[in-house]
Amino acid sequence: MYFAILRDITGKKQEDWSKPEATVGDLIRDLVVRYGHAFERWVMKDGDLWALVIILVNGHDVRHLKRFATALAPTDTVVIFPPMGGG
Amino acid sequence: MAKMLMINPDKCTGCHNCELACSMSHEGIFRPDATRVHVFTWEVEGFSVPMMCQHCRDAPCITVCTPVALTRDPDTGWVNLDEEKCIGCKMCVQACPFGNAIWDEKLAKILKCDNCGGDPACAKFCPTHAIEWVDDLVATRTRKRGFAEKFKQAFSE
Amino acid sequence: MHGWNGKILRVDLSTGKITTEALDPVMARDYIGARGLGTKFMIDEVDPTVDPLSPQNKLIFIPGPLTGTYAPSGGRYNVVTKGPLTGAIAAANSGGTWGAEFKFAGYDALIVEGASEKPVYLWIKDDAVELRDAQPIWGKNILETSDAIRAETDDDAKIASIGKAGENLVLFAAIMNDLHRAAGRSGVGAVMGSKKLKAVAVVGTNGVTTADNAAFEKIVLQARDKIQKHPVGGTGLRLYGTDVLTNILNQIGGYPVKNFQDGYFPTADKLGGETLAKTLLKRPKACFSCIISCGRVTKVTNKQFAGEGEGPEYETSWGFGGDCLIDNLDAVTKANYICNENGMDTITMAATIACAMELYEMGLITKEETGGIAVEWGNAEVMVELTRLTAMGEGFGKKLAVGSYRLAESYGHPELSMTVKKQEIPAYDARAVQGIGLNFATANCGAAHVRGYTIAPEVLGTPMKVDKDAVDGKPALVILFQNLTAALDSTGGCLFTTFGIGAPEYAGMLSALTGVEYTPEAFMNCGERIWNLERQFNLAAGLTAEDDVLPPRLIKEPLKTGASKGSVSRVPEMLPVYYDLRGWDANGVPTPAKLEALGLAR
Repeated sequence: MYFAILRDITGKKQEDWSKPEATVGDLIRDLVVRYGHAFERWVMKDGDLWALVIILVNGHDVRHLKRFATALAPTDTVVIFPPMGGG
Repeated sequence: MAKMLMINPDKCTGCHNCELACSMSHEGIFRPDATRVHVFTWEVEGFSVPMMCQHCRDAPCITVCTPVALTRDPDTGWVNLDEEKCIGCKMCVQACPFGNAIWDEKLAKILKCDNCGGDPACAKFCPTHAIEWVDDLVATRTRKRGFAEKFKQAFSE
Repeated sequence: MHGWNGKILRVDLSTGKITTEALDPVMARDYIGARGLGTKFMIDEVDPTVDPLSPQNKLIFIPGPLTGTYAPSGGRYNVVTKGPLTGAIAAANSGGTWGAEFKFAGYDALIVEGASEKPVYLWIKDDAVELRDAQPIWGKNILETSDAIRAETDDDAKIASIGKAGENLVLFAAIMNDLHRAAGRSGVGAVMGSKKLKAVAVVGTNGVTTADNAAFEKIVLQARDKIQKHPVGGTGLRLYGTDVLTNILNQIGGYPVKNFQDGYFPTADKLGGETLAKTLLKRPKACFSCIISCGRVTKVTNKQFAGEGEGPEYETSWGFGGDCLIDNLDAVTKANYICNENGMDTITMAATIACAMELYEMGLITKEETGGIAVEWGNAEVMVELTRLTAMGEGFGKKLAVGSYRLAESYGHPELSMTVKKQEIPAYDARAVQGIGLNFATANCGAAHVRGYTIAPEVLGTPMKVDKDAVDGKPALVILFQNLTAALDSTGGCLFTTFGIGAPEYAGMLSALTGVEYTPEAFMNCGERIWNLERQFNLAAGLTAEDDVLPPRLIKEPLKTGASKGSVSRVPEMLPVYYDLRGWDANGVPTPAKLEALGLAR
């Protein structure tokens, strides 16, 4: 699922990803291949997870799991938020 | 091509940073009453517009200025005010059809945008490009292109 | 003085006397302005046990030293008083342009005392200050009031006023300025109404000076650059507004639903900032000197909920939305407009309706009392109508006007009011995010998210990411955010600048502006001082450690669905650690040593 500016970049709110991905990093790299640099700058920095992007696997922030090494199962839901804030 | 201050009111958020930058750079104080650019906000609609001297080619202010304090520089196209020559008669205030020459009682002088000598503070401090210091042809062409794009979207399949 | 004007305006509405006095530079240095300085005036001049709606309470309109300069997003002001909703110190923070205009009129604070027999408004034009008859405009809404006052004063007058809600002493009435900006919480509008003060209109033709123009410009440009480079401060908030938070809170299972019965709302996306941007948003709007532009100029064309104005913000979208089990953004926005047009806090209004919905479901509120209105979960028309009735002071709206705590208590179930210190908890579930729960429990003004916004590190990951479910380290984190915020709130700056800058930049701006040297440590120290001062006021007002508690639902009822299901709030275990780290005793009372260190020993 995509939110905020990522919806404009991918043109979607969500999609079913049929290609098996072992880890979050694998998925993100494949998404970058599909959506290009406009997408990449919001998720990666120097080849690794960008500190400010929020990626949840089944509602859990990957920054407290294994970041890009977090394992993925075929039924998992991955949600990606660009940096956001408010009050 | 000459440079001009281009106003994009659709981008103006009503923040008044331009006024503050102007009064600070010219008068050394944050005082929106003593600025050469003013922002008007319509609160109900949430729409704002910044206004400053347009440096007219056929400037009515120059026509009425008896001491010839207001003159036009043929190279830049700017209408310049020589404060030494100005007698404060306020005829320019009456003549400007846009209301862009103002008289400030506290400073006892005419305030009119002078483009900050080529590096306008308002454009520098505007956070949204509602005021830009651009080549005059580029400015209008950018706006034209932006609107032309709407046709592209309407006609494309 | 620079930054500060050095002058306080004092108006006694009982006698009609209007006077000015000098601002003590030492007090200004130690409490900065706005929230901090306003609290200092309150504790020095007001008996904390006063009835907030009595003439003995004072109402203070107070910007900060940065207000009126081009410090980025630095144009705010506070309204400080004793809050009728909470019985605690209240400092409601508002943006717009009123605060800057008041600085240009030449003052640092307006202290309103006593009460007028007849409705009046205050008209300030620089040194010329007078009270005028407001009987002809008593009862008018915010827009009508603004138009009427401008017609007899100045077309460009900036106006802070109350609507019918404040006049009728709705306990969560707000003071509105620039039509759409609110000094919203704790019922500051009711205090204004109790004094029969309809509005404060101001025109200022003077300026604010700095101690060092070049140094101030330099540090301001650096601060602006940092904010503009930060993805949230630079673009995120301008594109999507605060309502963008809807989906992230929902996805982590912390979006309170149905009066906090759960933490996940399947259709929340219909209420989010992305949807708002595509449907109702006309353009972004900024406050005075703001570079972030989070304001939303919106319009609802749907005939049933038609209107225009600004908003909704995230809290409002959540409150009238998920908290009431409603996913109709048009209806939510209409309720938001009604609150703005009549001067009411959207968070308390919405949460009170949600509480009423639960009481109705239980059969405690009946159709007889509501005049036939079925106060049902998910009913958008009813939610809007109840908001309107409360604003107008009609029908069941009169019962809702006391807020959810007193409402629920009147039916024998105060535990169903999701409040701390009788102020409604905003849009973050403390069971899903541990630190924010501790902040809700300990904020001096009652439950409030902005007092210690640990959502930023716990959920968003800025300035760094901490585990939302962890308890270790949270008391220290909450204290850090609370202290920084207290200091920042006292400068006139906007909290959203913390998406980019912090204590070092604020210390630098204050130093260059005022000529008084602030280090980042001294700045944080001011924040800690102000926090403890607020605590002192509350303790003297009769609040105790027993008021630093969350409602039992959040401690005992685990979340049922969503990413944080099964969790409860662990505030009870964090609280003793919090007190200890703050240098307070086990009862939450600042120790003599702590007060001495902060210069607060009496």
